[in-house]
Amino acid sequence: MNIVILYGTETGNAEMLAEDIQADLQADHAVEVANLSDFDPGDFDPERLYLIVSSTYGDGELPASAQPFGAAMRAQAPDLSGVSFGLFGLGDSEYETFNQGSLHLQELMEAAGAALLGERVVHDASGSDLAEDLALPWARAVVALAETRLGAAA
Amino acid sequence: MRKVAIIGSGPSGCFTAQGILKARPDWTVDVYDTLPVPYGLVRYGVAADHQGTKAITRQFERIFERQGARFFGNVTLGRDVTLEALRAAYDAVVLATGLSGDRDHGLGRAEGVIGAGQLTRALYDHPDAGRLPDVRGEVIVLGNGNVAVDVLRLLAKTEAELQDSDLGAEASAWLAGRPIDGLTILGRSPAAAARFDPVMIRELGRLQGVSIRVADLPEAGGDKLIEALDGLDGLATGPRPVTFRFGCRPAGIDTDAAGRIRALRVEGPRGPEVLACDTLITAIGFCCDGSLGRDALMAAAEDAEAGRIAAGLYAVGWFRRGPRGTIPENRAESLAVAQRIVEEVEAAPPRAGAGAGILPAGHEVVDWAGWKRLDAHELAAAIAGRCRTKITTRAGMLTLCREKEDAR
Ligand SMILES: Cc1cc2nc3c(=O)[nH]c(=O)nc-3n(C[C@H](O)[C@H](O)[C@H](O)COP(=O)(O)OP(=O)(O)OC[C@H]3O[C@@H](n4cnc5c(N)ncnc54)[C@H](O)[C@@H]3O)c2cc1C
Ligand SMILES: Cc1cc2nc3c(=O)[nH]c(=O)nc-3n(C[C@H](O)[C@H](O)[C@H](O)COP(=O)(O)O)c2cc1C
Repeated sequence: MNIVILYGTETGNAEMLAEDIQADLQADHAVEVANLSDFDPGDFDPERLYLIVSSTYGDGELPASAQPFGAAMRAQAPDLSGVSFGLFGLGDSEYETFNQGSLHLQELMEAAGAALLGERVVHDASGSDLAEDLALPWARAVVALAETRLGAAA
Repeated sequence: MRKVAIIGSGPSGCFTAQGILKARPDWTVDVYDTLPVPYGLVRYGVAADHQGTKAITRQFERIFERQGARFFGNVTLGRDVTLEALRAAYDAVVLATGLSGDRDHGLGRAEGVIGAGQLTRALYDHPDAGRLPDVRGEVIVLGNGNVAVDVLRLLAKTEAELQDSDLGAEASAWLAGRPIDGLTILGRSPAAAARFDPVMIRELGRLQGVSIRVADLPEAGGDKLIEALDGLDGLATGPRPVTFRFGCRPAGIDTDAAGRIRALRVEGPRGPEVLACDTLITAIGFCCDGSLGRDALMAAAEDAEAGRIAAGLYAVGWFRRGPRGTIPENRAESLAVAQRIVEEVEAAPPRAGAGAGILPAGHEVVDWAGWKRLDAHELAAAIAGRCRTKITTRAGMLTLCREKEDAR
């Protein structure tokens, strides 16, 4: 499967996680990693699976590297029907606005017609789990869902 | 293959190492720290009850465990090794030693007047910190930034609210036993100009043992901070009085016969006031403690804005910028400087310097494995309700770093 991992980050945790996921999946798939700051909504391709990994900042906002993408989604209002994505959020339950950034990305994607595969899974920096222990199973499950879909479509 | 020495293992040093090794995985990147332990203010500044923020260290671990950076703890620039020697031994040297001195408040010295840096280092078991100070009575925290809020919050919390922090047994007992009559957080600027993060102000709304009054507040008018402060006003969850004051310029302190502060005189929004004060904690920023000739170095820098002091010598983080900015800002800056270092070092002829070979023979260096032994010990030794128990002395740290697993 052709997979693109998009990360939104401010202190680099999401970037590190994106690379971990890439390392985990690339034996079986073609996997690219890109910063959301370098990604234009016009580039979404229904042939590919998108795994989005993003933190939350400020007061429940998108992290710095995802802000331009958020603005572009609102401005361009692209038609993303046929595009599938998975979403993994990084946050900290010390904040009342726990993981609202990733929720916001989900809303932007779904409003544009893209389909979320599986559930949005979130990591809590104040919890005891390591992010990769949640994210690797999440990524594999999303890929499996995408494969089932493709199989069903074929 | 090129060699880079980074002095200081706080966020700015770690992100610089990360950036260089991402671009050039085969380079030698040696990260030095005066302490046997890494991470700078992530370990000794970020609040003990903000463990989520400290989780950034999981990312920093990778730099040493997967990206190949080497850690040289217990090495002090200016004492164990000189800048000249380092510059001769490496293709590039990066100064990331931070700024840890409390900025002078100009109010004069007195018993009971304490810098926030001094207090937080003592609370967080920094090995060079003095003893926990005598904080009592009417306590005023002077300052309008996030460090002032950290100090206020820790002093206001009940033991139950400090669960899962990494405060040590002594600091915990000290906090629990503080004979505090009232806590006032006081800033010279009006509320609208305060540098508090609204999110941190709202966090105070979860305190369990306080009665909060916010004075000198203007109409919110959509301002997030004013709204957050307004939301705190009147909160009553417990007996400890907490007061916010704004627009109060400190004019002087009065002391008692024993030389202890008893009042803070301010120029308030409605004229001069004398505020009863048994302890004054100043959280008005940090400065250079005079070491490493920082101010002269930065003043003479060829391109201070871009972190370049001279050929092969760079500066990042608080050392470069001054004591402002959070971890995200350090990341953006350090990654940019790392890129510049890669370009400039590659454009220069290789130095073939001795690298870490210049360290004095017999000097005890703590390597990454040594730190991990200490780290494992600190985690395993956590007392009930805490996530870690820090070792508080250099000698104690060195002993545990030295100890092989099988020797325990
Ligand atoms: C009390 C406090 C609370 C804070 N809370 C937060 C927060 O919650 N969130 C946030 O984002 N930011 C916070 N900050 C800001 C953050 O800590 C800084 O932005 C950041 O640590 C600066 O990184 P640095 O690497 O420049 O310096 P430091 O983190 O200070 O690192 C400098 C390192 O250099 C070492 N060093 C010093 N001198 C020498 C020498 N001569 N030789 C060798 N090594 C040396 C030190 O031991 C230290 O490890 C806080 C700051 C303070 C003071
Ligand atoms: C200043 C600041 C604000 C934050 N705000 C939120 C927030 O509103 N909600 C949340 O869930 N996490 C918040 N976080 C936590 C981060 O999302 C979490 O630390 C994450 O692991 C950072 O990932 P990154 O390094 O990829 O940016 C905040 C962290 C900081 C330092």
